Amino acid sequence: MTGNGSRPLLEARDLTAGFGSHQVLHGVSIRVAPGEIAGVFGLNGAGKSVMMKVLAGMVPAWSGTVTFDGRDVTMLSPEKRVAAGIGNVPQGRQVFPALTVDENLRIGAYTSRRRDKHSYGTRLARIYEQFPILGQRRGQLAGSLSGGEQAALAVGRALINAPKLILVDEPSAGLAPKIVHELGDILRQVVEAGVAMILVEQNVTFGLTLVDRAHILQTGRIVHEGPVGELDHGTLATQLGIGRMLTRTTATALAGRQDDAEVVAETPDGELRVKRTPAKKKPAARKRAAAKKTVSRKTTATRATARKTTTAKKTTARARATKASRNGAPPRSTRKKT
Amino acid sequence: MTDTRWKRYLIVLIAFAAIPPVLTRMGFLGDFWFETLAKGVALAAMGLALNVVMGYAGQISLGHAALAGVGAFASGVLTAPDRFGLPFFLGALAAMTFAAGIAFLIGLPALRLKGVYLAVATMGFAFAMQESLFRAPFISRGSAGVELPRPLIGTFEFLRAGDYFALVLVLLLLVWVLDTNLTRSKLGRAFQAIRSDETIAASFGVDVTRYKLLAFTISGAIAGLAGAMYGHTVQFINAETFDFDQTIILVIIVVLGGLGSRVGVTSAAAFYVLFPAILVKLFGNKLLGWDFIIGAALLIYTISKHPGGLAEAVRHAREKKAARAVRDAAAGGATHDDTLADVPAMPDMPRPAGLPERTTEATGTALLSARDVTVSFGGLRAVDDVSIDVHRGRIVGLIGPNGAGKTTMFNAMSGALTPDGGRVSLLGRDVSNAPAHVRAALGLGRSFQMIGLARDLSVTENLLLAQHMVAAYGTASALLGLGKAPRIERELRTRAREAIAALGFERYADTPVKNLSHGQQRIVEIACVLVTAPEIVMLDEPSAGMAPAAVEALAQRLHDMRDQLGRTLLVIEHNIPLVLDVCDELYVMNSGQLLAHGDPDEVVKRDEVVGAYLGEMVPA
Amino acid sequence: MAAGAIYGLFAIGVVLVYRGTGAINFAQGEIGTLGLFLAWWSVTEQGLPWIVGAILAIAFAAVVGAGFERFAIRPMVNANRVAIAVATIGFLSLILAFEAKFFSPSPRVLPPPIEGVGVEIAGYFVSPTMWLSFAVVVAVSLGLGVVLRKTDFGLGVLAAAQDPAGARLMGVPFNRVSMFVWGTAAAISALGALLIAPTLGAFAPGFVSLLFLKGLAAAVVGGLGSMSGAIVGGIAVGIIEVWVKDIFGGVTLPGVDVLVVFGVILLVLILRPGGLLAGLKVREAGA
Repeated sequence: MTGNGSRPLLEARDLTAGFGSHQVLHGVSIRVAPGEIAGVFGLNGAGKSVMMKVLAGMVPAWSGTVTFDGRDVTMLSPEKRVAAGIGNVPQGRQVFPALTVDENLRIGAYTSRRRDKHSYGTRLARIYEQFPILGQRRGQLAGSLSGGEQAALAVGRALINAPKLILVDEPSAGLAPKIVHELGDILRQVVEAGVAMILVEQNVTFGLTLVDRAHILQTGRIVHEGPVGELDHGTLATQLGIGRMLTRTTATALAGRQDDAEVVAETPDGELRVKRTPAKKKPAARKRAAAKKTVSRKTTATRATARKTTTAKKTTARARATKASRNGAPPRSTRKKT
Repeated sequence: MTDTRWKRYLIVLIAFAAIPPVLTRMGFLGDFWFETLAKGVALAAMGLALNVVMGYAGQISLGHAALAGVGAFASGVLTAPDRFGLPFFLGALAAMTFAAGIAFLIGLPALRLKGVYLAVATMGFAFAMQESLFRAPFISRGSAGVELPRPLIGTFEFLRAGDYFALVLVLLLLVWVLDTNLTRSKLGRAFQAIRSDETIAASFGVDVTRYKLLAFTISGAIAGLAGAMYGHTVQFINAETFDFDQTIILVIIVVLGGLGSRVGVTSAAAFYVLFPAILVKLFGNKLLGWDFIIGAALLIYTISKHPGGLAEAVRHAREKKAARAVRDAAAGGATHDDTLADVPAMPDMPRPAGLPERTTEATGTALLSARDVTVSFGGLRAVDDVSIDVHRGRIVGLIGPNGAGKTTMFNAMSGALTPDGGRVSLLGRDVSNAPAHVRAALGLGRSFQMIGLARDLSVTENLLLAQHMVAAYGTASALLGLGKAPRIERELRTRAREAIAALGFERYADTPVKNLSHGQQRIVEIACVLVTAPEIVMLDEPSAGMAPAAVEALAQRLHDMRDQLGRTLLVIEHNIPLVLDVCDELYVMNSGQLLAHGDPDEVVKRDEVVGAYLGEMVPA
Repeated sequence: MAAGAIYGLFAIGVVLVYRGTGAINFAQGEIGTLGLFLAWWSVTEQGLPWIVGAILAIAFAAVVGAGFERFAIRPMVNANRVAIAVATIGFLSLILAFEAKFFSPSPRVLPPPIEGVGVEIAGYFVSPTMWLSFAVVVAVSLGLGVVLRKTDFGLGVLAAAQDPAGARLMGVPFNRVSMFVWGTAAAISALGALLIAPTLGAFAPGFVSLLFLKGLAAAVVGGLGSMSGAIVGGIAVGIIEVWVKDIFGGVTLPGVDVLVVFGVILLVLILRPGGLLAGLKVREAGA
């Protein structure tokens, strides 16, 4: 399925988990290659946080395995997984509010400082370089930072250990859109440094601009998995139940990741589709960095086209949609009945 | 109470009353054993008293030995021949009354506190009693204490320990029956709801403050009686008899037996008195101190392995088998598939009799109206000057990104919290300062993001809890199982059964709701909200966790609620197509403020909504 | 007055365990008594100098506290607070039973580290031990503060106190943090016991627990939120006690002082449900 030759950095197989006799995960498998961003999307209650907690070691799996860097870590405590090279950016950022920025970073570096205290200074300096805003607020209590600054701190905290993989849980939750934009830049930096990432996101539009592979989690099962370039608009719409509105923006984002696609209005009731011109497959993750420049140029172009098409079709689409709903017709949706 | 239960109790009563006196006269089990057993029975009664407060209502009390002491001293002073010399039953009555009264007085201030703070407050009460009141000269003549006579009924004096044991057994039976009636009534359900989550309890119409006080008072009465039982057994009490150490023993018995379990608590009490007695009889004085050491070690071990007490350990063993079956099936590939494919039709519940009269809003005004509501947490404005109007017969939607303040706004409107500014009016009445249970009684029903059900109660019990407001019978009726209570309970159960049947959930009727899937819990919750025919139904993310197919069914159900059941709805949602399909009107919040309001199809296309809510990436 | 400082010391122990692991260790005070017995035995029976006895007592208490956490508390992963409290009560009973068996209930006297009646200040005698107590309380708070903020492990303890799950996700070894917290709190109890024993004269089984309960009340009054709250609470309770005894000392109803202290504590808790320093906390925001 992956076509990716390298050995996966993290591989979870057939995870089942839950609370008491209430099962939440029904056999979840997920794989991340080194330097890759794997995205996991799903509605509230789909099991995203439980999955992340199992991967982090906070919740035990009922069955299944988690292998990291060739090692079976299924039974390992969270602390030991951090020491093994897995970093965490928990849901809600969870910075320690009564500790300063500096102290938060030091806590993040707990396991690496035990191994090697001397290089800490260098690593700390590098984090401050990457996130200058943190450097400005070194002595400030983390609880007094703004949402965006806390997000930067949470990411910095995870990175200071020089992990191979970080688990990022809904980083955009509760952040204003402008900050989310900055967050995207931060996370992109992370990946450029070669750190792999599993990103769980509620905000699909945001997630799509970052990830290499997309997984869709629904009521405890992975119902779709594949490179973001091959992600079918219809699948997204069906599985996540995103509707006409999101279709437009998400389609735009999706088109942006698929350098050979453009957004067109197609269906009679004003639905937008992403149309693929006979395509090359999206370059593999390893060649991402090199191909990035080409992609971004194309992306801008595609987006410009998309916007033109969108605006032109907007009025027609809207008119058609309002007409449909006024007639009391049953909701016409792009969702296919499964 | 049903006839079979009456008969069963009668048989037990006769057995209790007859067997011990017979055994005594036949020479089995001397006075020592009967006295020990009588002490155990009194202790069990004290444990059951504490169980009402800690096990059912979930409030910590470290003052129950003191309450028992109040009862014992009261009975002692009244019945002692050199004092008032009154008959035993008057003493027992006085014991219950005084103890209940003091429990009420202490409860008034103390129950505003929670957890550790409540524990410390009750602990202080215990010490205060122990050091001052119990030593007061007019009560106990210094530390000389009070002598209590064995009861005298007519000319029959309960001198023989065996006879007295029969008496306390009968009293224990009385307490047991009262407790059973309690748990089967609206009181028991209300207590457990409070223990589970006070906000959810209030949303079902439970006056939390009043019920906590009620639990405390009832518990006090039982403790007082138990204290009298104990006092007349040992026949001499002083300030040390009911000191703080005794309270600790009570807590240990209740926790070790299992919070909320009658059988567990009684067994633990029996064990506590019998274990040392047996050791003494077997080893005499050779043990000398080892028994306490062994006992304490045993306690630590048991609690460490079974924090829920022995009752929990037994329940756990049974549940474990079921859970393991589920896990094995899961590992083997077959998954416990409770994915919901459909949302069943909500039962059409006619407005139940017994509800308080509901007002109506003036024509043209909103059914539920919130104006200029502001809620601040510390320095953060979670809701900033937001106004929402819901008119009768409409389905109104409220959307916004995570953290926009939607649930906080809901809480301000439903009474789960008091806003810092603004007004809320319901059915034409100003309810800005009314607590949640009052608004519930007026006709407001709501669901919660994290499922507002009492987790440990079954589906049926939750549906009964939801009908709390129409359980129009009093405490006495509930406890005695006489009067209006049995008939009304039957009606409530019938309605609950009908609702379960309409949902098709018969096989889940007695399952604790925490064991159902998220979607199933949501359905039960909505049924609970509807069961008292509220005028307005507020739903917080009803589609969360549902598969798309189920969401479509949900949309239809929401339409039905309006068209067939005549409800008015206010819905928070993240699922945009559902909102567009179902809502007549849409409000959009972002960062605590109202961003937009109007026709759904039109509102979602506005730039500011698209930008804020959808977090659109500004193209590079 | 010195009693207030000692209550503050016990209160620090309470706050440490409560913030660090969310529990209250009812045996904490009695572990201190156990240490006291050890000190007594080494000083009186073995003739060792006071300071050695003190060190032995403190170290022993630390080991007992940490060991109890490791073997009894750590397995109780899903237990609610009441069950954990009961486990600690069981431990308290165990220690009391142990002391009764092996040391007999008769009181002992541990000679103070520094002899002498001391200086008179404002009508109260302030013995050298009392000076020592003040000094120690200050030293302990400062020392603890330094350890907690400056060392990695200490920082881990602080982090775990704010957010145990978050701390684990950062790699902080929660198990070791718990043991440290419980052990240190027990050691502090032993220290407090050592300091107050000379003032109160003789000691017997159960002796320290009563003081511990007052320390618990002090911690609660201070709001269970911080070390400073603990010290403030301790001093407050100490002052109230003395003040009440002065005013009501002559009244015929016995134990009035306890009644009034109880009343005052109740009043404080009702007026400030989060404790005296609660105003400095921020309410949790919803969604």
